[in-house]
Amino acid sequence: MKNSLEHILRFISLVLIQIFVLNSIQISGYLYPNIYILFIMLLPAKFPKFLVLCLGLLLGIIIDAFTDSYGTHSSATVLISYLRPKILSLVSIKGGEDLENISMKHLKYERFFTYSGIICFIHHFTLFYLEAFRVSELFESLWRALMSSILTLILIFILELSRSKYIKI
Amino acid sequence: MRNIFIFILRYHVLITFIIFEILTFSMLIHSNFYNSSRFLSSSNFFIGKSVNYFNNFQQYFFLKDINEILIEENSSLKNKLNLKLKKNNLNQKTEYIEANVIKNSTSLKRNYITINKGSIHGIEPGMGVCNHKGVVGIIRDISSNFSTIISILNTKSLISTRINNTNHFGELVWNGISREFAQLNSIEKYVDIAIGDSLFTNSYSNIFPEDILIGTINRFSISNEDNFYDIEVNLCVDFSNIYNVYVIKNNLKNEREKLESGTYEK
Repeated sequence: MKNSLEHILRFISLVLIQIFVLNSIQISGYLYPNIYILFIMLLPAKFPKFLVLCLGLLLGIIIDAFTDSYGTHSSATVLISYLRPKILSLVSIKGGEDLENISMKHLKYERFFTYSGIICFIHHFTLFYLEAFRVSELFESLWRALMSSILTLILIFILELSRSKYIKI
Repeated sequence: MRNIFIFILRYHVLITFIIFEILTFSMLIHSNFYNSSRFLSSSNFFIGKSVNYFNNFQQYFFLKDINEILIEENSSLKNKLNLKLKKNNLNQKTEYIEANVIKNSTSLKRNYITINKGSIHGIEPGMGVCNHKGVVGIIRDISSNFSTIISILNTKSLISTRINNTNHFGELVWNGISREFAQLNSIEKYVDIAIGDSLFTNSYSNIFPEDILIGTINRFSISNEDNFYDIEVNLCVDFSNIYNVYVIKNNLKNEREKLESGTYEK
């Protein structure tokens, strides 16, 4: 109960941060951080995969509606929701089944950043490539995805650090 | 029948994944090829309202800047009014509808701007939008209270322009890289252009009236592949700083369209 409340609150606050803060401050064309995917990353490993996909679609459509991007964010978010268990099995032997919670505290720095880094990069690359919608922009999309993923990871690191400091799980 | 259920049950995750991806891709492709109404965009009522609330709050921080812009604009309008009176030109071909930007982006490939005026204020899709400095974009979607604009900083935007010194026309597009520069196509090699030449809108399309500034030529080179220049245009509008815009309503649009469609049919 306490856990599900935490996830709902995280969903709302990440969407608000993404729409009203990160999308309002325009840093550069190459830096477009998407912090909202942290919600998908931190869902419990035992959470039904079907529901993860539904939540991914919902989250993507909300962000799409506010950025006028018509489908790019939602297809990228659905993709990472689907790939999440497979990436999770890279950092944990039993595919994450042994983990009660996914967080920086539980996974430790190295495993957490492998996990979130791969998800971040896949998400940003899909997003930028779909946005460009042109085969010839592959390398530019890769470069933009790399820069934006690094910035997103820094933001995720700050958020996770502040969470583990104040809320003792 | 039973086997089908077992199959669906076993692969339900993969099946939902594929269904969702088809759904989102169809949204994406639909928005790329058709200009029909899209219910999920910031011209939607609920989304427009919430963006508007946040923007009201945000604007307090920029009041000083906005004031300065308004003063600057007031003075330039007064100058124009004086010129108008001298010319004694009473023929009111175009009207300007004032609107505020409530949402804007410059970091994407396809940037859209949302304004707080819609169909009840007389805005229609396809109208041109400018601010006190120059051209901003073209209206795309409208709802009763809000509209979205394709800004020049959108890889899908295309604006017809005229070079001031030579009167040759070209097409202004954006390659998605820098928010300060756009590209000008279809200027042939024999045209005599120079760095610093200004570009204005032309009245070939019904969207903009004659002589609204777009930008100046920043750099140009002759391409080896075809007969056109590669021209980089320094846009006069600072897209990271637009608050007040004017939607241009052309009162003679219907008359002209009717005449032209009649001409082309014969």
